[in-house]
Amino acid sequence: MSSEEIEKIVSDYVERQGSIIAVLEAVQNRYRYLPEEALRIVARQTGRRLVDIYGVATFYKAFSLKPRGKHLISVCLGTACHVRGGQAIAEEFMSQLQIKAGETTPDGEITFETVNCLGACALGPTVVVDGHYYPHVTRSQVGGIIADALAGMERDDGAAGARLFPIHVSCPNCKRSLMDYDRRLDGHPSIACVIAYDGRKGRLGLSSLYGSRASEVELEVPMNEPCRFYCPHCHEEMPHYSNCVECGSPMAALYIRRGCAYEVCTSRGCPGHLLNLDQPNMK
Amino acid sequence: MRSFQTIAEFKAYRKSLLDAKDKGKPCLVICGGTGGQASGSNDLIRVIKRQILEQNLHDRLSLRITGCLGFCEMDPFIIVEPGYNLYPKLKMADVPRIVAAAVKGEVVEDLLYREPGSTVIRFSEQDIPFFQGQTRIVLGQNQRVDPIRIDDYLRIGGYAALEKALAGPDRGWIVEEILKSKLRGRGGAGFPTGKKWEMARGQRSPSGRKYVICNADEGDPGAYMDRSMLEGNPHLIIEGMIIAALAMEATHGIVYVRTEYPLAIKHATIAIREARRMGLLGKNILGQGFDFDIETFHGAGAFVCGEETALIKSIEGKMGEPRQRPPYPIVKGLFGCPTCINNVETLANVPYILSHGADAYLKIGAENNAGTKIFSLVGKIKNTGLVEVPLGTPIGKVVHEIGGGPSGTAKIKAIQTGGPSGGCIPASMFDLPIDYDSLAKAGSIMGSGGMIVMDQNTCMVDVAKYFMNFLQDESCGKCFTCRKGTQRLHEILEDITLGKGTPEHLVLLEELARTVKDTTMCGLGQTAANPVLSTLKYFREEYERHIVDKRCDAFVCKQLTGAPCQAACPVDTEPWRYVAMIERGDYEEAYRVIRSANPFPAVSARVCDRKCESRCTLGVSGGEAIAIRALKRFVTDRVKPSVYKPTPARKKRMKVAVIGAGPAGITAAHGLSLLGYGVTIFEAEDRPGGMLSCSLPAYRLPRDIVAREIKTLVNKNIKFEFGRVLGRDMTIHDLFVDKYDAVFLAFGAHESMRLDLKHEDVEGIYPSIEFLKAFNMRGEELARGHVGVIGGGNSAVDAARVALRQKDVTGVSLFYRRTREEMPAYEEEVEAALEEGVRIETLISPVKILARQEEIEAALREGVELETLVSPIRIHSRKGRLADIECIRNRLGDVDATGRRRPVPIPGSEFKVKLDTLIVAIGERPKSGFLANMGLEIDKGGRVRVNPKTLATNLRGVFAGGDLVTGPNTVIDAVAAGKKAAESIELYLRKQPLPRPARPKLPEVYIEPPQDPGSEGRTNRRAANPALTPAERIKNFREVEMTMPEKTAREESRRCLRCDLAFTAHKSADGAAPAAKEGEQHD
Repeated sequence: MSSEEIEKIVSDYVERQGSIIAVLEAVQNRYRYLPEEALRIVARQTGRRLVDIYGVATFYKAFSLKPRGKHLISVCLGTACHVRGGQAIAEEFMSQLQIKAGETTPDGEITFETVNCLGACALGPTVVVDGHYYPHVTRSQVGGIIADALAGMERDDGAAGARLFPIHVSCPNCKRSLMDYDRRLDGHPSIACVIAYDGRKGRLGLSSLYGSRASEVELEVPMNEPCRFYCPHCHEEMPHYSNCVECGSPMAALYIRRGCAYEVCTSRGCPGHLLNLDQPNMK
Repeated sequence: MRSFQTIAEFKAYRKSLLDAKDKGKPCLVICGGTGGQASGSNDLIRVIKRQILEQNLHDRLSLRITGCLGFCEMDPFIIVEPGYNLYPKLKMADVPRIVAAAVKGEVVEDLLYREPGSTVIRFSEQDIPFFQGQTRIVLGQNQRVDPIRIDDYLRIGGYAALEKALAGPDRGWIVEEILKSKLRGRGGAGFPTGKKWEMARGQRSPSGRKYVICNADEGDPGAYMDRSMLEGNPHLIIEGMIIAALAMEATHGIVYVRTEYPLAIKHATIAIREARRMGLLGKNILGQGFDFDIETFHGAGAFVCGEETALIKSIEGKMGEPRQRPPYPIVKGLFGCPTCINNVETLANVPYILSHGADAYLKIGAENNAGTKIFSLVGKIKNTGLVEVPLGTPIGKVVHEIGGGPSGTAKIKAIQTGGPSGGCIPASMFDLPIDYDSLAKAGSIMGSGGMIVMDQNTCMVDVAKYFMNFLQDESCGKCFTCRKGTQRLHEILEDITLGKGTPEHLVLLEELARTVKDTTMCGLGQTAANPVLSTLKYFREEYERHIVDKRCDAFVCKQLTGAPCQAACPVDTEPWRYVAMIERGDYEEAYRVIRSANPFPAVSARVCDRKCESRCTLGVSGGEAIAIRALKRFVTDRVKPSVYKPTPARKKRMKVAVIGAGPAGITAAHGLSLLGYGVTIFEAEDRPGGMLSCSLPAYRLPRDIVAREIKTLVNKNIKFEFGRVLGRDMTIHDLFVDKYDAVFLAFGAHESMRLDLKHEDVEGIYPSIEFLKAFNMRGEELARGHVGVIGGGNSAVDAARVALRQKDVTGVSLFYRRTREEMPAYEEEVEAALEEGVRIETLISPVKILARQEEIEAALREGVELETLVSPIRIHSRKGRLADIECIRNRLGDVDATGRRRPVPIPGSEFKVKLDTLIVAIGERPKSGFLANMGLEIDKGGRVRVNPKTLATNLRGVFAGGDLVTGPNTVIDAVAAGKKAAESIELYLRKQPLPRPARPKLPEVYIEPPQDPGSEGRTNRRAANPALTPAERIKNFREVEMTMPEKTAREESRRCLRCDLAFTAHKSADGAAPAAKEGEQHD
């Protein structure tokens, strides 16, 4: 964490006339909590008193002034979850993690909190781990959920093979295959593209396993910056038919067959990708 | 994506979409909303995509990933259009079959939806009761659009209302139409939307800015319809906002979404981007000279920000404290500009009203409550999900018809609406129509639409405490009475749930609740008392149970429950304790633990209804309950009763008369004899046991077990007088004259209820008690041929099974008027009866019994009048015999007072069944009419009225218990009554006040947990008791259930979660750490 970095986050928002809450949200997204330094910088840059900023930071539950763990486990205590025994689930987590709600394990791995309602009432009792929802949780599942959280949600329930499957793509312009049989990713031929950023060009290899995010990039591109995608054979740019649902950047469309496209977000580091089985522009 | 400069261009584009749409192609619809994803729909989507891609099916099959479809209970599910075939609760492996069938236009029958417990396949969504009861004018569209594809929305006529509004004569028309539709705010308060818009339209903004805010800060716990709308059909909301802006000439729009709704934020953001790109937002919308744009704002987790002035402050970057109104935001809102704030669902109704006209809208719903409302039906309900019904629909219809009734076996007790501002409405008021005014009158509010169903396992004091905890946490703190008032209310409720409540607390609660209501500024404070006041109003007796009896009947309040198995036991057995002893291998001590609480261990080990197991923490938290009764059986089969030797106190001079030698009478006599009183038991039959001997069949309870157990309870202070009947041989007065100091009446309920049908007394028809007694006491086999049994209780099933074992019986049918699910017999007895070959016909009630035709003819020939034949006595005298019964089929109707759905006969469905024997087992009642003449109070059902806490009757010195007081009941409840009677009679004889003040029954003895609990390999599977196979047991009376082997018993006992330790661990040698843990329990 550096003051410069915080300054940049804050000034980006101030420029865009974002509200204080949005600024604090951005800082917290970066550091998982609001460092004191950040509150001071926000006050300075927005011209508001530190006490006001502190007031806002403590009024809203989404903000934390204490460092939080790498993983966040939230147990919903909305009414629907409560009547289905959510409280007992929360107690089981506290007893197994040996921390109270709102605290972080001493090793900094897990922060545990209870929330008032996640709006997933039909699934109660609900537990959310780093954005992943667990429905109808019972006390006996608690240990397993903690293990999942520590393992980073990479569940392997034996169904991975059905979830991930290989696709073959070609250039929508020249229709030549983009599959690179020499450079393999995830044990399968990779998808080869050329990307351009800031006047420079380089090779991009993508996993051809749908659902995998593995890639190889030979060009230095700052995170969250959009690139242009080109065909390595005809050197034409890949068309854009839609925008990424994750970040809004244009998606590069690769051809699978008539009406079917594999669309990949052009923004560096964005996981957005889509197997579009109804892409009218590819007909 | 194209941008459109004119309405005509835009219309043309929509037309091109509709033309291009390949019709007739089957489509798989699947929910990709938060609920669907959480239930695993992403995996299904992957598999569908894979199938389509690998089998090259994309020209023949489409896939639509939608938002929430409302039937969340069935997630993840797929609906296949055009047949709307619904496949619920799917696994990945099911998908390929569905894809293959869908391509061919076929269905996969075994995966299609069925009502729980039914085998009838519902082929289409429209056939499913959950959907049939709804009117989905808003929510229904979710199924037809992929929320991230604007083209989907355009195809179903999206933005057509906007076209109409833009092209309309003048903008005032929009306001007129909304006013006429009588749309009211769906956020909860129900303010007329048209009025709000009219005021907003009239406002001039000095800065030129005017705001429309969509309030999606859905903070009410238990409500998620706004999330689902925004996630599932964001363009509908955006369209509503643009129309609102147009109507009131607003310039800026904000969607205020809570940060807890990441997917809603994402979909709203995408939708806004797409709408902007098409020219539906921004400058000069569709070339009509109107500028308006929308942005999203993320609420940062403060419930109070749902209040409009607090919401505005939070957007302004301040703490979300409400401010005094007026000025209303309409006049002076965000950054001082006029601001109109509408709820998500309100805006979602706007396009419908403009497209279909206010007149069409007014036809939906009720007087002054036009339109529909979406509710999130959640909690203890079978079909959780989102339901949209016309306003004015009765609560009962939503809960029972759409919701399918309770999720488990416990009865529904109440619904909670309106979130923390609302209240609880009891099941007795489910006729109430759901509209703004009726709910308010009942002490609740409509609120944003959460409808949380609560059953008998929900503690209403705990619910009130829950909401107070929520509110004290969420109170912004500006008003003293809200900030401190909610805290104090919470503290008082906490005290009550901890067992520290006093009757004065209730007075204080009410006074404080009213003060908070009257003296706070914003809606949060003004309604904060509702959860307390409504539960006090409708569930006061629950508060009193907590305060006076120190009991939480829902088993929620820990400090009043202790170990649930113990709290559940009517005779206060400590199952956790003897299970722990079995685990340690100390079976004798286990026996002593059982026996010290229960004088009938071996009997209970066979016929107890196991209230302990139904409350076992393991069983209610996702696992299977400990097989407590089977473990008790293991102990009682292995240990000699002599290891427990109570020593009777020195004989006192006072005497007690006990009437009836059943489990209640013998238990009371035994208890009193140990205290030194001389007890005489008067018994009408020739042997002791009561129902244990005469009613319970030997294959469940062998006779020698009963005899042996009773023998251990008799000592020199107890005397039997058999064949002596109260009312015939003596009166209560006679007993006092005979120098008895107290009397305990416990002669049960031995009179069978009648069907009240003509010919009920013809030969071949027996009341179940008479039938069972004849066999059990005298060895007479009354049943022969094809036997029918009417009734659904335990005695019906017992009778059916006993009949089946009699030698001249060829078959047995059981007739019951409700469904299998509502049968009050123990589940496993029904299972066993079915296994043995008993046929169960449900939804049948007999309408009339016909004597055999030939016999009627013979009677006629002999010169008897036909009319006289209907007299049962005459038929008996003529040797008339049952020939067949005529039945009529029922359907289930409304819920009756017992919480079960009432059987309603279906006219024209009558049919006859030929029977040789009919056993009527529809219930028993005490033969108690004569007691009234002795001055005792008797109720309509013939039951003796007592003070339930002491069992004292209205006559001094006379106590009553068991079936005589409760009607037919379980053995263990009779034993409990006997124990209570002994205690009360002793207090009475010692001239001490009755009853003793109650205290919670908590575990007191510390037993060290196993050192190596072996939790790794611990199974959640419950051990089963060995039993005879149906082939081995049919036509004999050998005991069906057997003892489990020692190894199994030890393993089973090791599964116990040891709930007792939370209360006793501080008594261990190294009690420091566990004591701290107990402290947490107290928090």
